[in-house]
Amino acid sequence: MFMKRILIAAAALAYLGFLAVLGAAYLIGLKQAAAWPPAGAGRAIADKDLPKVEKNVRQLEKRMSGLLPKGLYIVIDTAENRLYVKNGKDIVRTAVVSCGSGVVLEESGGKQRKWVFDTPRGEFSVKSKISNPYWVKPDWAFIEEGESIPKGLEDRIEAGTLGDYALGFGQGYFIHGTLYTRLLGRNVTHGCVRVGDEDLKAIFKTVPMGAKIYIY
Amino acid sequence: MKKTAKIAVIILAGLVWTAPASSQDKGGLVKKQNSLSSEYSLAKDSAFYFVLDILGRKLELRVRGMVLRSWPFQSMRFWGRPDLSGNVELVRKTALKAPERIVIKPGGDAEKVEPAPAPTGTNPAEFDLEALELKDMPKKFSLDFDNGLRILVKAKTGASGGLLGSIREGWRWYVDLPLRNLFGPHTGAGLSELELTFDNDKNAQSIYWHFFDEIKGIIL
Repeated sequence: MFMKRILIAAAALAYLGFLAVLGAAYLIGLKQAAAWPPAGAGRAIADKDLPKVEKNVRQLEKRMSGLLPKGLYIVIDTAENRLYVKNGKDIVRTAVVSCGSGVVLEESGGKQRKWVFDTPRGEFSVKSKISNPYWVKPDWAFIEEGESIPKGLEDRIEAGTLGDYALGFGQGYFIHGTLYTRLLGRNVTHGCVRVGDEDLKAIFKTVPMGAKIYIY
Repeated sequence: MKKTAKIAVIILAGLVWTAPASSQDKGGLVKKQNSLSSEYSLAKDSAFYFVLDILGRKLELRVRGMVLRSWPFQSMRFWGRPDLSGNVELVRKTALKAPERIVIKPGGDAEKVEPAPAPTGTNPAEFDLEALELKDMPKKFSLDFDNGLRILVKAKTGASGGLLGSIREGWRWYVDLPLRNLFGPHTGAGLSELELTFDNDKNAQSIYWHFFDEIKGIIL
């Protein structure tokens, strides 16, 4: 009976101790939260320094606005599969597209190469504009189909697959048309950006060579 | 005539008298200068960066000073050191169920990647593809930064993990983190953990999609 009481007292003491420590932890947390800087707070400055700071802010704002792309540019959201043609802050056109599938293709034999079918992300520019493009099938296109890789260039050329137009943005990547219009809005490509016929035509006609492309 | 003169004097006084900037305005101006300066150092390169505006309750993905995506968060809570502001770099993205890429090895076990035509009558936005898509991204994950800050991103719905998940989450937030915050500084590692809750699943998932390792950013 005595031992039982001792045990209960010890357990109660341990519990109270734990609560006390937890209470102390919450007090520390509240103290830290009180040190959170209020909105707009910053280092105080003397009145005489105010014009200098204002001038700096104006200069920085000017520099920042100078970084924005000039004229028409393209923005592609690979997660939402959307392409926007923009001019400044205005959206000129929105298109539903298909971006890279993220799939990894591994070559079983031969050189045992590996491809990751991601649409590259970053800042690019329109490097080429092609009407009635032909697709020069790369090695992965044959490996994926389980076919042998042809030696001659003529065996790699395929017409009609890329639609009526293509805009190249480097490293073999293009914004082009598609036969799989039902899959627009899904991530299905090997890295290129597929666009529906009507949107592709409009993009091709309006976006000039050298225009910036931002893919994120 | 006398009345007109009085009005003119009042207007002139209003034009001539300019109130000195309050200390809060001045402090705000210095903060703006610092944040613009930090952002310019990132924006002059072509890489994407993020801006986490804690008091403005939004997270933004930017390039060249231009906002690409903005994710307003519904709520936030915090444990630890509040001195978060400054430039940071993402070190690690951790999720309980991180998405995995589909690997295809023709001649091996897997099949070809080009999607088969969708079953007739099926909405193309619904059927499963052999691809990594936004819907495959986790709704709850953490982002660890080089300054020791950890940000837990979660969607309001679909990330609780049921009753067990809620208990685990409660224990972590109300017991584990306060204790780690209390004892952490003595071991040299100050705790700094921020939890951001987003309105819908897609917002949390797209942050996982767009935040790649080593992305730099500014916390305001």
